[in-house]
Amino acid sequence: MTAITQQNVGKKARADTLKRIGKYTVVRFFMLFFAVAVGIYLTILIANMGGYVDEIRRAEIRENIAIQISMNPEYKKLTTDERKQLQEKMVALEEERLGLNKPFLIRSLAYLKDALTLNLGRAMNMTSDSGSRQVKLILLERLPATVLLFGTSFLLNFFISLFFALMLSRRYGSIWDRFVVALAPTSAAPGWFYGIFLIVIFAAWLQILPYGGMVDAPPPEDPLHYALSVAEHMILPLLALAISSIFLSIYSWRTFFLIYSSEDYVEMAKAKGLTDRAIERRYILRPTLPTIITNFALALITVWMGAIIFETVFNWPGVGRVYYQAIGLFDIPVIVGTTVLYAYLLAVTVFLLDIVYAFIDPRVKIG
Amino acid sequence: MNDNTLLKIEDLVLYFKTSMGNVQAVDHVNLELHKNRAVVILGESGCGKSSMAKAILRLLPRNVSQYHGRVIIDDLDVMSLSDEEFRQQVRWVKMSMVPQAAMNALNPVLRAGDQVAEPAMIHLGKDKEEALQLAREMFQRVGVPEDFLTRYPFELSGGMRQRVAIAMALITNPQLIVLDEPTSALDLLTQANIMNVLKKIKWETGTSYILITHDIATSSELADEVAVMYAGQIVEVNDAESFFAEPLHPYSRRLMASVPRLYGDEEPDFIPGRPPSLLNPPTGCRFADRCKLRFDKCDQEPPTFIVDGHPVKCWLYEKDHEAVISAATASGDAS
Amino acid sequence: MNLNQFRDITRYPSAIVGLVIILILIGISIYTIIALPYDQTVVKWRGGDNVWQDNPRTVPPTWTNFFRSEKLPESIIFNSTDEGVEKQVTPLKDELTDIQMTITFDYTADEFPQEVIMFFTSTFEKKAPYISLTWITPDGRELDIGDFSIDKTYTRRLSQDEKLTKKLDGQPAEIGLFADPNSPEPKPLKGTYTLEVAGLTFEPESDFEAKTVIYGRVFGLAGTDHLRRDLLLALLWGTPVALAFGLIGAVVTSVLTMIIAATGTWYGGWVDSIIQRITEINMMLPVLPILIMVGVFYSRSLWLILGVIILLSIFGASIKSYRAMFMQEREAGYIQAAKSYGASNTRIIFQYLIPRIVPVLIPSLVVLIPSFVFLEASLAVLGLGDPLMPTWGKIIDEARTNGALYKGLYYWVLEPSFMLMLTGFSFAMLGFALDRIFNPRLRGM
Repeated sequence: MTAITQQNVGKKARADTLKRIGKYTVVRFFMLFFAVAVGIYLTILIANMGGYVDEIRRAEIRENIAIQISMNPEYKKLTTDERKQLQEKMVALEEERLGLNKPFLIRSLAYLKDALTLNLGRAMNMTSDSGSRQVKLILLERLPATVLLFGTSFLLNFFISLFFALMLSRRYGSIWDRFVVALAPTSAAPGWFYGIFLIVIFAAWLQILPYGGMVDAPPPEDPLHYALSVAEHMILPLLALAISSIFLSIYSWRTFFLIYSSEDYVEMAKAKGLTDRAIERRYILRPTLPTIITNFALALITVWMGAIIFETVFNWPGVGRVYYQAIGLFDIPVIVGTTVLYAYLLAVTVFLLDIVYAFIDPRVKIG
Repeated sequence: MNDNTLLKIEDLVLYFKTSMGNVQAVDHVNLELHKNRAVVILGESGCGKSSMAKAILRLLPRNVSQYHGRVIIDDLDVMSLSDEEFRQQVRWVKMSMVPQAAMNALNPVLRAGDQVAEPAMIHLGKDKEEALQLAREMFQRVGVPEDFLTRYPFELSGGMRQRVAIAMALITNPQLIVLDEPTSALDLLTQANIMNVLKKIKWETGTSYILITHDIATSSELADEVAVMYAGQIVEVNDAESFFAEPLHPYSRRLMASVPRLYGDEEPDFIPGRPPSLLNPPTGCRFADRCKLRFDKCDQEPPTFIVDGHPVKCWLYEKDHEAVISAATASGDAS
Repeated sequence: MNLNQFRDITRYPSAIVGLVIILILIGISIYTIIALPYDQTVVKWRGGDNVWQDNPRTVPPTWTNFFRSEKLPESIIFNSTDEGVEKQVTPLKDELTDIQMTITFDYTADEFPQEVIMFFTSTFEKKAPYISLTWITPDGRELDIGDFSIDKTYTRRLSQDEKLTKKLDGQPAEIGLFADPNSPEPKPLKGTYTLEVAGLTFEPESDFEAKTVIYGRVFGLAGTDHLRRDLLLALLWGTPVALAFGLIGAVVTSVLTMIIAATGTWYGGWVDSIIQRITEINMMLPVLPILIMVGVFYSRSLWLILGVIILLSIFGASIKSYRAMFMQEREAGYIQAAKSYGASNTRIIFQYLIPRIVPVLIPSLVVLIPSFVFLEASLAVLGLGDPLMPTWGKIIDEARTNGALYKGLYYWVLEPSFMLMLTGFSFAMLGFALDRIFNPRLRGM
């Protein structure tokens, strides 16, 4: 056997892997898309049982036409009454064209299409920073802040938990082990709960960290100081998110590691003379990773849910806080729109994790 | 030590601490093995034979209470090595292992070829390409098609997995392979195949085997010598021909009598009762309460007598035969 | 599952602590339900009708004084309808009657009271009584602090009386009336104060009653909120609500999930597939936003929300792990035996499969309870709590919207948070200990 054939075998292996992962990714994509569609449809159903989505649509149509009429020089000559009549006529035409008079089922499907394409209508009271009323813009403007905070938190929590879980599984029964096990119940409380305490301690009492917000007001001019300010404001939220999830993660994953380290192939690895570190990496960590990632995915979903109150407590300018404000202002389009966005965020999170999953676990089957 | 002697086990002890007490799994075991020979360790379930494999290979669980003795390979007592020295000098270098067929012995997330190649990279200093090449040769030797190098274990049948395990055990060309029930969980045809593979390898490479099993029939295929284990102790060691024709120890005799024969009218004769628990082994001969030939001296633990060069642990052989003075009997240590 | 395992709980101190706390909470709940009936509480909590009139506004609990060097005052209330407040009635000529009330009290606090208000009720037909107030400080100064006529019900807020304030050199009543004139910084003068209420009635049957409230700066066991409501009521009533919500939610969800998983695993085929698909889709549903929408658009009734949460949770991720366990059990010998003697599917599911899983169900059920409790609190913090019931989350919400953290009114936030924490952690500790006992995979350790 020559080295070239050996290379070919390797290449074929890699190509096989990519093909398998590619197929899996596509299947998962469609499944998740379907799930998102169902979720959003459910949202629409709930929202529109009270006729709210219809209202959003109607309001938007009305506004569009009003703008149209006012911009059109031909109509400038009309009296107010005449203009009103014209408006009504055009609105009625438009509603018919868009099928707002059709039965609910068809209407809801139209809304579904809109929602899936993030055509979310106009807000009632809220505006985006750029002055637009479009719900889509309002939300997309705030999305980066949320992703920044929660993305950082997820990465931090994942790797810290993994590191300590591995460490603890080596020291079963030690004092650190028992310490973490005792603290595992701290995960019962959500992040915002700890956030309140942290703010009371560090911001109100000790006064060493800011109360909330993302950046000092007024924000610093140069990028370095801006970044530092953002980092300073992230400390307490990241800490709150960490406290509410890390101990449980470390405890659960360390338990997984302990269970998986009693597998037969781990003993074989030891018999083969692998170093402890090599065993840990290839024979304990790698087979356990799929389970850990699934576990992590579920935890993430919970954290996303808590983001609404969390961002409000910390006055963090993200999607969650927008949601809170919309509730207070009873701004229906924003409420419905944010729920749609949430469904997407969940799906994207799960999708990303699924891809990682596919890379690690060769047993991933298709369909 | 004889130039032909590969392995000498002296007074090997392995006890476990459990919530129910001290399990004396391996109780002062002595064994000798020559080069290119296969010794079968024969015994019922629970007699401690798997523990003996673990004791030889130093694959100890967390709850060990006693572990000592001498395991001498090539004039080196590997029991005296530190864990790291053992890992570098003994594991898969002097001896390797083929696990039970039912064991989940292959890492599910690594390709078969990579796992087989691992020991070559660790102990023979080969890089990945060379090691995979070596693995390919091993696959050939055990009869596994080459494209299985890139397969994952879940894609392999039971018999195929065992062959891969054997290939893995061979790759560093160790002098000794310990096989723990390698075929018990396989169907008869596959069993026969695997046995043939083992025979072929022994013939081709000069490796020695310690084959641990309860299956007398398959063991007879491969054995050069038979060591019978009962309740944590070796009660007889005999060469295969003599053993299968006329075993010396009463237990061995009952064992052979219980095997159904293809020819002849004799019905198999089962042994009543159960082996003693390893938690509190009886004082005196451990087989006494099931032995038809028992007499009053059996209340004391018998020493090991040498009968025609073969160790037998039974009072019946006291007359005319020399007792082996082992450290245990010499120091009056009951166990 | 046997008694021995339950006895194992005693090996885990965290479980015992959790259990003790839970029992205390249950005790509080029982007491609350019996001693403070729900209907009355709802009415009281809604306020109005001057239910909370006598309480100071937004003050911390009395026991916080223990940690203070400068003690805050408690409320001092005198009601002429009580015994001990003497009314001297002296008829004068022409149907005029002079009614005098003298109120004496000791003031020992190191800080000023919050406000001083007098509540008058009077009976008359045409002409209302006329009141004259005189204030005598411990150091003998006599101040005429008001002359006015009252009505059938009349509230005199001395603190907001501008004339009085001017008279006290620009200091509002609660400071001016109590300030030590000799002290360079504002400090109250300790000692015995006297308030003389002199009233003149113009009709023979006319009379009046006066209630004097000198509002303290601490109150009760739990303090008060911005509507003068005693927070203890909400803290007490939050307990049975939280427990009920948590227990019902967790139990119903867990049981239903288990039944669904068992059914899917046992019947297999398309039943199983459908359940799997529903589970996956359910994982994508943003639970809290949907709850928010239900709360915003429809109703915030606690039980409706509970129902929706349960509905959204029964196809949760735990179905996958239950399914794995049921798959193992399905092939067990005794199940096959039951099938062969013709046991119905329902019987097999309920009598054989489910009892095997119950030991593993219990820990996850217990750990689920805090999730429900905090979910209810979350909704309340978002302003979507049940409009009638006083719950812990509601208090946190009101505290936040009234700027409790910025104004240093920490007790307002910390007290309900503490109750939430107690409840959540006690169940979590118990649940984790139970998990270590019942989880078969962990038993080997």
